Amino acid sequence: MLVIENIVTAYGKIEALRGVSMEAQEGRITCLLGPNGAGKTTLMYTVAGILHARRGSVRLQGQELVGKPSSEIVRRGLALVPENRLTFPEVSVRENLIAGAYLRLTRDKAGVAEDLERQLVRFPRLRERINQDAGTLSGGEQQMLAVARALMARPRILLMDEPSLGLAPLVVEEIFRTIHELNAEGVTVLLVEQNAHMALQIAHHFYLLEQGRITFSGVPGALQEDEVIHRAYLGGSGASSH
Amino acid sequence: MADFWLEVADITQSAMDGLLYGSTYALIGIGFTLIFGVMRKVNIAFGAASLAGTYASLVAFQVLHAPAIVVFAVSVIASGVLGYVVYLTCFRFIAASNELGSLLATIGMLLFLDEVTVVSTQGMPMPYPVLFSDTMLFFGPFSLRSDLLLVFVASVVCTGILLAVIYRTRLGLATRVVSQQPVAALLCGISVPRTNATTFVLSGFLGGVAGSFIASSVGLLSPLLLIPVTLKGLVVTVIGGLGSIPGAIVAGLLVGLLENVFLYFRGVTERDIYVMLLLFIFLAVRPRGLLGRLHA
Ligand SMILES: Nc1ncnc2c1ncn2[C@@H]1O[C@H](COP(=O)(O)OP(=O)(O)OP(=O)(O)O)[C@@H](O)[C@H]1O
Ligand SMILES: [Mg+2]
Repeated sequence: MLVIENIVTAYGKIEALRGVSMEAQEGRITCLLGPNGAGKTTLMYTVAGILHARRGSVRLQGQELVGKPSSEIVRRGLALVPENRLTFPEVSVRENLIAGAYLRLTRDKAGVAEDLERQLVRFPRLRERINQDAGTLSGGEQQMLAVARALMARPRILLMDEPSLGLAPLVVEEIFRTIHELNAEGVTVLLVEQNAHMALQIAHHFYLLEQGRITFSGVPGALQEDEVIHRAYLGGSGASSH
Repeated sequence: MADFWLEVADITQSAMDGLLYGSTYALIGIGFTLIFGVMRKVNIAFGAASLAGTYASLVAFQVLHAPAIVVFAVSVIASGVLGYVVYLTCFRFIAASNELGSLLATIGMLLFLDEVTVVSTQGMPMPYPVLFSDTMLFFGPFSLRSDLLLVFVASVVCTGILLAVIYRTRLGLATRVVSQQPVAALLCGISVPRTNATTFVLSGFLGGVAGSFIASSVGLLSPLLLIPVTLKGLVVTVIGGLGSIPGAIVAGLLVGLLENVFLYFRGVTERDIYVMLLLFIFLAVRPRGLLGRLHA
């Protein structure tokens, strides 16, 4: 569904992604593991059109995304739950959600209202806080809001950048349960995680990104899993051995 | 004793007149505030662009002999267009991180627009049409200039329309979220440059309303209006609390009121000195203004 080929993205002269190729298959949960600074967030932002690739291609259902503005990428059915949630702190929970459906606010009022209700059923805590400013929510609630906001765009593929970051174990479990449910509903998921143990429990396929390159790819349960987890946490022997 | 009460009545009268006229300062202050709110940047050229738009409406008045309402409409539209021009020249192509660059560009733009208006009018004050009829309304010991009252009412209406746009429409939601979290706004499919540009046009419209009201209350349009309008806009923005629209409204009325009280006691030559002092007092004692948030 999403095919990433030879993506190179740089900050000034420093290439953070040095030719990344990977794929997220329709209906699956694909997990991208990697230590701090590997380039996971850079890849997510490149795919979503926030950062611009120097080279390479990203295709969503055969259509090229590189060079398209982020609004066009959202319109084609790709949504990103960004690292650190990035909710809008000084507008209400309701308006955060509405903003997620920005592109069809005028054309599809009924659909937006329906989706809003669906998110509030999925995350009852958001309903309790619907008129509160998002900045007053707890970390876990903000993560739910960020996920719900992304879902308001009705994505066919959902990218999530470290949704478990800084959350208590119980909340992390809730988030992972939600990812699993969403996937069961038919949403394709590309999940970036450092919490490899949790991620590999729900992933169908995973990749390891180290120093801007994919160094491993496989299915959970395979023999090398322990080493992969070790490297995802610690950035072990790294790209040099590949 | 009678003298004392006469004096109180006079001061009250001045304060009321000032409060009504202050509604135009509120409009200017809201214009500055909108841009600051969405871009976290100060557009010093805002007053100049607004007055230049009002100058442009003189063409409709002097050449086409259009009715006052048309002159007013031209002022609003021209100021909106100039707002967009300021956005293009001072913000669109200057990196967001280059704060000083944009600030200096807007100072340059202020001087440029001022120069253009001075040259094209030979620096002479120009008569401006009366928008609202000027009669006196009497309430007991007090009287009100009907034109100021109507300026006040019209400013309140314009502010109401603006608030409705900001808090009730899709565009308004975009302007609010773009400043809070630009990356997330992009991820929602919002175009940040387009939202910023629209904010400049909207604030330009308000500036055109204010410019036209000010010129019509004074009866004249003169390059000498530029510095007071710009300074008062900035003072109102700071006193209201940077980025706070309700703050700008309250501060605009307050500055108008105090200015007239200063005028009553100290005369027209000293008036603006005290207004400027207010700016420094607020920056030192209450930098977040009347209604600004702490971090702003
Ligand atoms: N704005 C930036 N300017 C310059 N270099 C950057 C910038 N953002 C990231 N980098 C660099 O690019 C590399 C990849 O960073 P990135 O944030 O993509 O890593 P990550 O895998 O998401 O890490 P983490 O697990 O800590 O979130 C790092 O070496 C980082 O220092
Ligand atoms: Mg990251």
